[in-house]
Amino acid sequence: MTTQPVKSRLPGLLLLAAVLVLLALMPLMVNNYWLRIATGALMWAGLACSWNILGGYAGYINFGHSAFFGLGAYVTAFLMNDPFGLPFLVTVPAGMLVTAVFAVIIGAPTLRLRGAYFAIATWAFAEVLIQFASAMDFTGGIGGIGLPPYLNERFFYFAMLGAAALTYLLTWLLFERSRFGLKVKALRDHEPAAEAMGINTALVKLQTFVLSAVTASVFGAIFAYWVTFINPKSVFGGDITDQMVVMVLLGGLGSLWGPAIGGVALFVVNRLMWMYWGDTAFYIALLGAAIVLVVLFLPNGIAGLFSGRRSNALEKAAGKLVGRVDEGERP
Amino acid sequence: MSPAAQTPAAGGEPILVVRDLYKHFGGIKATNGVTLEVRRQEIAGLIGPNGSGKSTLFSLVAGTVAPDSGQIRFDGHEIAGKSAHAVARLGLARTFQIPALFENMTVTENLLAAAAEGRWQGARERAAETLALLRLEHVAENRASDLSGGQQKLLEFGRAVMRQASLVLLDEVTAGVHPNIRKIILEAITRLRERGITFLIIEHDMEMVRSVCDRIIVMDSGRVVTSGTFSEIVRNSEVMQTYLGRPQ
Repeated sequence: MTTQPVKSRLPGLLLLAAVLVLLALMPLMVNNYWLRIATGALMWAGLACSWNILGGYAGYINFGHSAFFGLGAYVTAFLMNDPFGLPFLVTVPAGMLVTAVFAVIIGAPTLRLRGAYFAIATWAFAEVLIQFASAMDFTGGIGGIGLPPYLNERFFYFAMLGAAALTYLLTWLLFERSRFGLKVKALRDHEPAAEAMGINTALVKLQTFVLSAVTASVFGAIFAYWVTFINPKSVFGGDITDQMVVMVLLGGLGSLWGPAIGGVALFVVNRLMWMYWGDTAFYIALLGAAIVLVVLFLPNGIAGLFSGRRSNALEKAAGKLVGRVDEGERP
Repeated sequence: MSPAAQTPAAGGEPILVVRDLYKHFGGIKATNGVTLEVRRQEIAGLIGPNGSGKSTLFSLVAGTVAPDSGQIRFDGHEIAGKSAHAVARLGLARTFQIPALFENMTVTENLLAAAAEGRWQGARERAAETLALLRLEHVAENRASDLSGGQQKLLEFGRAVMRQASLVLLDEVTAGVHPNIRKIILEAITRLRERGITFLIIEHDMEMVRSVCDRIIVMDSGRVVTSGTFSEIVRNSEVMQTYLGRPQ
């Protein structure tokens, strides 16, 4: 929540404006094939951001995030089909509502856990949903469920762009520019101290969990309508969460733009491998290598390369030069 | 002149009353019937050997740990067993024995986070005042994890100041810090008391206890052994033997 002078923010704002103009004009510049790739990249950038809301800002590593993506997808598929036949735009808020209810039910007990225990509990939740969706008739069982086709690539591109832009705007407002963000980051760094500051950490964690889940459900809804067919593995699968985690770690955990950088970079690499080699098996090995490299050399991700770490070191050096009260006093 | 004699409110109404407070961890009797009072606008010192139950008492009062039995009355509210955030919202702030900072946040963000729950209006101005009070302006935008040990103690103290609490519990806030930083903290405590804030301070440094505390409460084996001014305490042979480790 530090306020930078407008002058120092100008290059960043200009870059953001240029990216937004480029994204808005994209359908006029590329063919449908590349537009589909851009749509997918926006979806992954948005999904990574939704995972980062809980994982990066609150420090709770959710390995079942695909459950919420899948819930959004299944609610849309269910409501667009007979006997409901509802319009797509009505199914999106319905999916958000259902996801929010699930998030509260799952989050209230599991957010009492930390670290690996929370990760395992959320992973188990997603696995339960896969089994449930595979076993039930109304979900189409293991064979999946189709949706009414709508063959308009531009619609899905702009839907993903709008959802991603709103997700990032919301994240920026709530986590970078508000009291709520301070509370979330405080509990991430030291939960007992945050409690001692009067912060109801159980409530703030639950609110963050629900927000993270609901944003994922929006992308699930758009995805289902876009691909016109879903099955339990395609929307609840653990590999979906795995990719979000790697994208965020590569881009920068707990940063605003890290998930966008990681999401777009990894998805585009995936598609290029498919295009030139006709196979993405090597992509899995690449993910593993990316994790190792990030852990060893980029603990703050790619976004960390552009953060204020260096200036902090410079400030410390300057502080020592002018002789502060603490000079040489570090234990 | 002793600090107590300089205090207009010394001997005023109690802001914190603890009665028969018990907390056992298995066979360990961390607090074994603690009874004490802290008066409004007082600076009370809490001393005792390691393991005497001082930090556990802080955790019980602050709501971090629930007591087995007993009463804790703070500013007219019964708080025994209440959650830590509920106790904090009533006007009680604390520091931890090992600084518990929000390490990935800047110094300013740490201070603002302390004000995030409560009166937010004017929080930035109060953060600036607190930075000046504790002479931390030059590291305001540094990450808390980049601070020296002494600066971390200052920052944690600053967060307690930002809470605008009526009672502040300080757990060894000057332990292991540079004398300059200790001086800054002592001056701040004195100035804040003039604004009406009450302090209960765990401390092993007898010089600090002597210089700043109006009254000293001595604990041993989970109980309050005695209380009084510094000169009364040092004349107490039981205290000298159990805590200071030498005969009177």
